[in-house]
Amino acid sequence: MSGQTLFTAPPKTKNPLLAALLSLIIPGAGQLYLGARNVALAIFATTVVLAFLIWFTLENFRVGQIEIGGVETSWLWLLFAAFWLWNVFDAYQRARGKTTSRLLSFGIPILLIYIIAWQVTDANFPRLVTRFNDVKIIFDALLHPDLFTRDTETQQGATTIWIPCSNPPQTTPPGGNSGLPVGVDKVCGTVGDPLAMAGRGFKPNTTGNIYWQEYGGTNEAQVRSGGQPVVVTTDANGNFVTSFDIPAFAGRDGLDPNAPTVQGIQARFVQEVGAIRPSENFHVLIGSIQQVPAPEWMVSLGIRSPDDTVPRFVPGGIFVTIGLGLMATLISIVIAAPLSFFGARNVMARVRGGTIIYYIARGIFNIVRSIDTLIWAIILVTWTGLGAFTGLLALSIHSIAAIAKLYSEEVEHTDPGPVEATTAAGGNLLQNIRFALIPQIIPSFLAYSLLRWDINMRSATVVGFVSAAGIGFYIVESIRKGGYHEYAAALWCIAIVVLIVDYLSAYWREQIVKNENKISTEPPKPFYKTRRGIFYTILFILVFIASWNLAQIDLSKLLEPAPTFASVIYDFVTVDLSIPVWEQIVRQMLVTIFQALLATTLGAILALPFAFLAAKNITGRSPRTRWIYYAARFILSFLRSIEAILYVAIFVFWVGIGAFAGMLALSVTTFGLIGKLFSEAVENIEEGPVEALTATGANRLQSIAFAIVPQIVPPFISYAIYQWDINIRLATIIGLAGGGGIGQLFANYTGQLQYHKAGAVILAIVVVVTMMDFASAKIRERLV
Amino acid sequence: MLRIEHLTKVFPNGTVALKDVSFQVPDGEFLAVIGLSGSGKSTLLRCINRLIEPTSGKIIWNDVDITALSQAEMRNVRRQIGFIFQQFNLVKRSSVITNVLTGRLGYVGTVQSLAHYFSKQDTERALNNLDRLGLREKAYVRADSLSGGQQQRVAIARALMQEPKMILADEPVASLDPVLSHSILKYLEQLNKEDELTVLCSLHFLDLVHRYATHAIALKDGQVVFQGLPQEIDDAQFKAIYGQDAQRVSII
Repeated sequence: MSGQTLFTAPPKTKNPLLAALLSLIIPGAGQLYLGARNVALAIFATTVVLAFLIWFTLENFRVGQIEIGGVETSWLWLLFAAFWLWNVFDAYQRARGKTTSRLLSFGIPILLIYIIAWQVTDANFPRLVTRFNDVKIIFDALLHPDLFTRDTETQQGATTIWIPCSNPPQTTPPGGNSGLPVGVDKVCGTVGDPLAMAGRGFKPNTTGNIYWQEYGGTNEAQVRSGGQPVVVTTDANGNFVTSFDIPAFAGRDGLDPNAPTVQGIQARFVQEVGAIRPSENFHVLIGSIQQVPAPEWMVSLGIRSPDDTVPRFVPGGIFVTIGLGLMATLISIVIAAPLSFFGARNVMARVRGGTIIYYIARGIFNIVRSIDTLIWAIILVTWTGLGAFTGLLALSIHSIAAIAKLYSEEVEHTDPGPVEATTAAGGNLLQNIRFALIPQIIPSFLAYSLLRWDINMRSATVVGFVSAAGIGFYIVESIRKGGYHEYAAALWCIAIVVLIVDYLSAYWREQIVKNENKISTEPPKPFYKTRRGIFYTILFILVFIASWNLAQIDLSKLLEPAPTFASVIYDFVTVDLSIPVWEQIVRQMLVTIFQALLATTLGAILALPFAFLAAKNITGRSPRTRWIYYAARFILSFLRSIEAILYVAIFVFWVGIGAFAGMLALSVTTFGLIGKLFSEAVENIEEGPVEALTATGANRLQSIAFAIVPQIVPPFISYAIYQWDINIRLATIIGLAGGGGIGQLFANYTGQLQYHKAGAVILAIVVVVTMMDFASAKIRERLV
Repeated sequence: MLRIEHLTKVFPNGTVALKDVSFQVPDGEFLAVIGLSGSGKSTLLRCINRLIEPTSGKIIWNDVDITALSQAEMRNVRRQIGFIFQQFNLVKRSSVITNVLTGRLGYVGTVQSLAHYFSKQDTERALNNLDRLGLREKAYVRADSLSGGQQQRVAIARALMQEPKMILADEPVASLDPVLSHSILKYLEQLNKEDELTVLCSLHFLDLVHRYATHAIALKDGQVVFQGLPQEIDDAQFKAIYGQDAQRVSII
């Protein structure tokens, strides 16, 4: 039966009515009776899952809630009933050797799931439009990141006025003018009175603004007209004339004719002068040159005296991040490489009891890597405290597990022949590994390490959210202050650094493949004798020292955990299994899963047309459209280079804190990631069918529809499922930035020091992520 | 003297690869093992140095029961038995000389070998062996830059590093052009005659057996169906070994 495909009909020797009846009682039972075991199982499982979802989300999220005769229920049960009926009908038809609509069988559950997902993640797309005006300031900030500045020069002139007029009105102005000569046409007035203002002696042909000031006080407000700031422009002689209504700000202390107040009106012309220079923010973000006391080695060599100072580059947040990414990669390579042999079935088969070690090793790799770096960071803070070093540990732990798994698979894929040969020559296990295995795996190990460097670099940009060091921390701080220009500057820095690392990593990986395939008949020079080898060795040592310092590695911290550390770990391990806690966890886990689902759907739908624009064989050929190709590629790369959690701030500002914001942030990175994968799928299509259609006279759009689309549907679906898998991992942490879901629950529990509950959350994450990983791999295997 | 007594191998999946195989090989013999693919030739050769663990039966070599040895003792026996593989089994990315030196692993200490330290004598020996196989000038190139025939000669040089008393060759020429087959087998013949090594070599082509072997045994479905001189294989024997539909073919 296992070889049977989903919808083949069995020979019709069974009773259709009996089959239908069975399915009416228990969904799938009729199909089981007809021998379609897989279908029966699928129907039964779907029914159970749907029933649970409808019930649970009605209870917890009021999804589909309606009231019938005083009873609260969900209208989604109607759809559920439709699926049940379809199942009965299917059993009946199946028994008669016929088939039923695939649209119904998949359509109803999918529709149900999307309706629930929509409600659970609180999706409210109109809010994207209605709140668009407010979010403009963020987009404006993104285009004007705070990195460079110019000195400014201010020219001002101020006059005064009585507010309000007394009875009888004042005849002389309050006086107290300052700055350049300016004047208004009234001595006194009330809010809303038109006022004309003139001034002279300013710099010709410049623009300025008017400010209403509390006389002698510190408060002021920019004068607006029709919602826009009043802009005044001087003529060629440096004179200006303008008019506006007395603003409401003028009356904020109350308008008592018996106690008129003196208020100031200032015309202010601010001009940027001088050269563009790095702003204060630039120094924080990228670095600055500062005078520091001469280092010891200089003193002991006699180059400088102890009192001297020397200029030194003080690195900013982005360099700390780069250092963390590099150092974490190095550490994980060094530790994962030997560990990976324990996770390789072919090696462990040669050791007594090795199979058990193999399963343990693989199990540990999978559990550790299913917990995101940020969650590791939260756990590790209890050990080594806040700081770059904790971030490094979190990055390293996750990276060790992830890379060890890849290495293990690579060890398993080696050619067994050489091992057989060295064994036959009398080599022992270690010798066999050294001479027959290691030489085989070096290129793929290098390639995976470079790939991991790329991934670690990205993770390093966000690890600061928790460990309070590096650019992630900087972003948290600037968002807290509402400093969106600083936030924007950080995003740009991250994008540039990640794009460079992305490029270098890909370039070097390509070089590795090239070198492997280039077989020279000349004996190769040892690398330490080539100029390039020496260059890279020196570079490596320098980078290593710099990264070591930047990551603030302090191994002694490992030995001095906080006094509560042992009890914290104990709490983490003794997982809370009480029902209320797990109700919370299931609730938030559903949010997370549905966030990932909707983000994948949304990102994929948006990426679909975009992928064609970013495909070389579609837009990259003709010189007229090539700019589209490059622009589309750049947009995809840029969006992809910034981690989803960093986008959350924008959407929290836009649509408010919660699951919807997290979902939108996820869909932006999804768009970037999946758009790239899709466009590569488009680039990999066979040209033959396109050519054939073009030969029949089909135009461009027709050939896309009939020759390209059928070829790319399977890879597209496969990538989308893969992306959902990735998105669930990402969604587990998006709550740490206010994006809702399981991450938020975890942060709450750890924040309240309820570590046994936090341990339960981790357990749930491990289970869900591992299951998704497995399921996505299986489904994709079937598709391809 | 190598004595195989009632050797049987059943794989975990139930396949019976060898069924009660018994024969003797006096020292200095060139024994050809013939039979169809899947008749158990590879399994037989691999059982002799226990790359595959036999299920039952004995392998007695110079009065030592190989099947009864511990893994550590086995290492000492293995280093006296060279093994030549159909697919050469070189580490493609390593240099020729490193591949040859791996033949010495059974003699050198674990720690020093892990550091890739080989004595001057070993390196000298490796170069001499390469010289003997006409590959000295290729010593420092990567193994995968050599042709198939050259790679098999490197594999022979590797086996010679073991200073073996016996050589097991599993289809050493099946992956090579016919012309190269003779070149490789001539080297094996030379080792057999000049160095007086016992050679057990599985072969496909009967004319190669006639040309090089001093004795032959034939396997069919894991059982010995012929034992004797190569010349004794007549048409009836041939059909018994290879099946009724088989035809004799010859290579150059």
